[in-house]
Amino acid sequence: MSEYVVSMEHITKTFPGVKALDDVHLHLQAGRVMALLGENGAGKSTLMKILSGVYTRDSGDITIFGKKIEGDLTTRQAQSLGVAIIHQELNMCQHLSVAANMFLGRELIKSGGRLDNAEMNRQAEEQLARLGIHDMDPEESVGNLTVGRQQMVEIARALLINARILIMDEPSSALSNAEITEMFRIVRELRAMGTAIVYISHRLQELHHIVDDVTIMRDGKYITEGRFEDFTMEQIIANMVGHEVKNQFPRETVPRGRKILEVKHLNAGRMVRDVSFDLYEGEVLGFSGLVGAGRTETMRAIFGADPKESGEMILDGKALDIHNPGSAIRQGIVLAPEDRKKEGLCTKLSIRDNIALPNLDIITLGSRTGRINRAAENAMIEKGKNALTIKMAGPEAEAGSLSGGNQQKVVVAKWLARESRVLIFDEPTRGIDVAAKVEIYEIINSLKKQGVGVIIVSSELPEVMGISDRIIVMCNGRVTGTVDPRSTTEEEIMTYATRFGDNAASA
Amino acid sequence: MSIEKSNRSFLSRPGVASVVTAFVGVVVLMFIFAYMNPNFIRPNNLMSLARSICPYLLVGIGQGIVCITGNIDLSIGSVLGMSAMISATLVCSGVNVILAIVIDLIACLSVGLCNGVLVGKFKLPPFIGTLGTMTICRGIAQLVNNNYNTGDIGTGGLKDLFRDLFYYGRVGYLYYGVIICLLVWLVFYYIMSYTATGRHIYAVGSNVDAARLSGVDVFKTTTIAYTISAFCSFMAGLITMAAAGMGSMQAGMSYEMYGVAAAVIGGISTLGGSGLLVGVIAGASVWAILQNGLTLANVPVAMRNIIIGVIVVACVLFDILRRSGIIGKKKTA
Repeated sequence: MSEYVVSMEHITKTFPGVKALDDVHLHLQAGRVMALLGENGAGKSTLMKILSGVYTRDSGDITIFGKKIEGDLTTRQAQSLGVAIIHQELNMCQHLSVAANMFLGRELIKSGGRLDNAEMNRQAEEQLARLGIHDMDPEESVGNLTVGRQQMVEIARALLINARILIMDEPSSALSNAEITEMFRIVRELRAMGTAIVYISHRLQELHHIVDDVTIMRDGKYITEGRFEDFTMEQIIANMVGHEVKNQFPRETVPRGRKILEVKHLNAGRMVRDVSFDLYEGEVLGFSGLVGAGRTETMRAIFGADPKESGEMILDGKALDIHNPGSAIRQGIVLAPEDRKKEGLCTKLSIRDNIALPNLDIITLGSRTGRINRAAENAMIEKGKNALTIKMAGPEAEAGSLSGGNQQKVVVAKWLARESRVLIFDEPTRGIDVAAKVEIYEIINSLKKQGVGVIIVSSELPEVMGISDRIIVMCNGRVTGTVDPRSTTEEEIMTYATRFGDNAASA
Repeated sequence: MSIEKSNRSFLSRPGVASVVTAFVGVVVLMFIFAYMNPNFIRPNNLMSLARSICPYLLVGIGQGIVCITGNIDLSIGSVLGMSAMISATLVCSGVNVILAIVIDLIACLSVGLCNGVLVGKFKLPPFIGTLGTMTICRGIAQLVNNNYNTGDIGTGGLKDLFRDLFYYGRVGYLYYGVIICLLVWLVFYYIMSYTATGRHIYAVGSNVDAARLSGVDVFKTTTIAYTISAFCSFMAGLITMAAAGMGSMQAGMSYEMYGVAAAVIGGISTLGGSGLLVGVIAGASVWAILQNGLTLANVPVAMRNIIIGVIVVACVLFDILRRSGIIGKKKTA
């Protein structure tokens, strides 16, 4: 027992109507990184919330540093025992400085109640230096930092409170590749300091860089644990989903048809410079590149969400005139945006309202007063539900109550109703579990077969290489290369993705 | 991003640019009105101008701090009216001035506390919660003297001292009331800029979840902000009462909005998390200068309202355009 920093045994937790955790085990060792794996809803977050004191367990034993926890573990107690959690959605006060965020709730005070800013800045710098970060100004507002740098601040904050058990909930989901590399370096530093780390991620391909042990959960139950090297990727996935997933990236080859969309010399701000490409029927066109390469900006400009400076777009031989998203939608180009919760859905509205929202022109067709035709609306929702197997209580359920994968399906469903010509997916599987990812890929495949042009922007190289028929690589607002995913390598894509070249001057 | 702190320009510090803009606005307005009517810059007018800023400054401080927590306090005007009515009624009925002020203070602070509990503890939307207390407090202000304005509070002893201290007395060119307001401002400026409480107020407005998870007591912080706001309204109520020498049931009408204007012109975001209390001085000044200057320039009341409204919208619009144009794109790697 004593070799474990944390051991959780027979943990059970019931929420009204749901058994969230059922006899779950977890063991952490000092100086080792444990990947906690499972699909969305497997109970990983619930378990971690129990360990950090946010939730209380119904039954089971928790031992931290040899100390058996009697009664409920409180947040305060967990913190004093050295448990720190880095949340998936970064929890920072954007307006406050780096040092102020690190010391929030435990400010250093001089006599007379004055904040000791000088000392807080000094200590903040010291902690950042321990992580090998020497170029961050502790007085900089956190809102001015990139997501990756903000995460470094969160990690440094955990160090500051002497965290010896660090829970990282999907730390890589919003980071660029370079930032992920940097984060891994820091995780290794922490490991060398003897910190026990729980690492939660849906990006299975990245685990081998840092993970020592794995624990797998499914449907609130403990499935297995062991050393990472004793598992194959297929075994891990099989344990997570409960059955074997034959093909993580089920790409289907469809004969390439005629040209659907042609984008010529598109310019829109600093991030979209002279972008040209073609999209054909029966193909999925992938967009790869580093975070901030201008892919999202390009798609937003095409969709009319951001203003264009110049450029020409031709759809099915006809010139497009897109000046706002409404005109793009009417002309057959739609976008499933990067941030589902913020841009893709009205999370407080029902699934019905969300699907109907961009299609009210169809639903009110034939009514002089603009009355919503319930029958047409129901038919539309039924069609979307069946085509996409959305798991839901009913169409009246709040969109925000669905899991990530089902939310993404609702976003897709609202566009399916329109018979659009081009569907743009921006990071379609971010934060979605393996099984739901495959379902999204299958939807993409079926769209491809129907002759719809599909564009997918993805920061995950295995995904963009696995699902696309052709990949365009961008860097610094420009197209720097086009590759065939069947023959290319990650190295080749990265070469194009980092080809900053001489265009820095024009930026 | 570079770590050379000495290179960080003063203007690029968060909130500073809005404050500078607001003060530039004050100077420009002063020039315009001085040009239109030379009487505007006579010492006598400037003295009374400074005094007329005081109530706006006080409610601006209160509303500003509540705005920084990401909330709003609609009860400010009513608490001001309540403060004036309670103190005047008590003094008129023969209660000692100091005791009357203490009772008044307790009554006003308890409204702030109540707002804090409603919004911070029971999570009422601040707009609704304080709309309720606003109506209740206006009712109390009407109730304390049986639906009548009070008579004159009279003269002699402490009553004279009270009137002098809050309104009529002065040392050199400075009215005591102005000094008191600046002291109040200084105290809250210190709290907001140099203490953990102030830091927590900013944190709650910036990201309430992050603040809670960092161990900040959100309920306590919210309540402190509302109580400060009630205190500021209480002070403004005393000034109004001292000036009139009586309690008016109409005292403080719309002052919650004047507070919003002073705070927003001074660069405090109504969305929370940002803004500097220095700006409120400029914001309240702009408001008072417009009132005073337009009166001296013989602009009819109706036109005055329209002009002031346009200027408030223009100030905020300018600030938003500036932010989205420059600061909005400033994401350094």
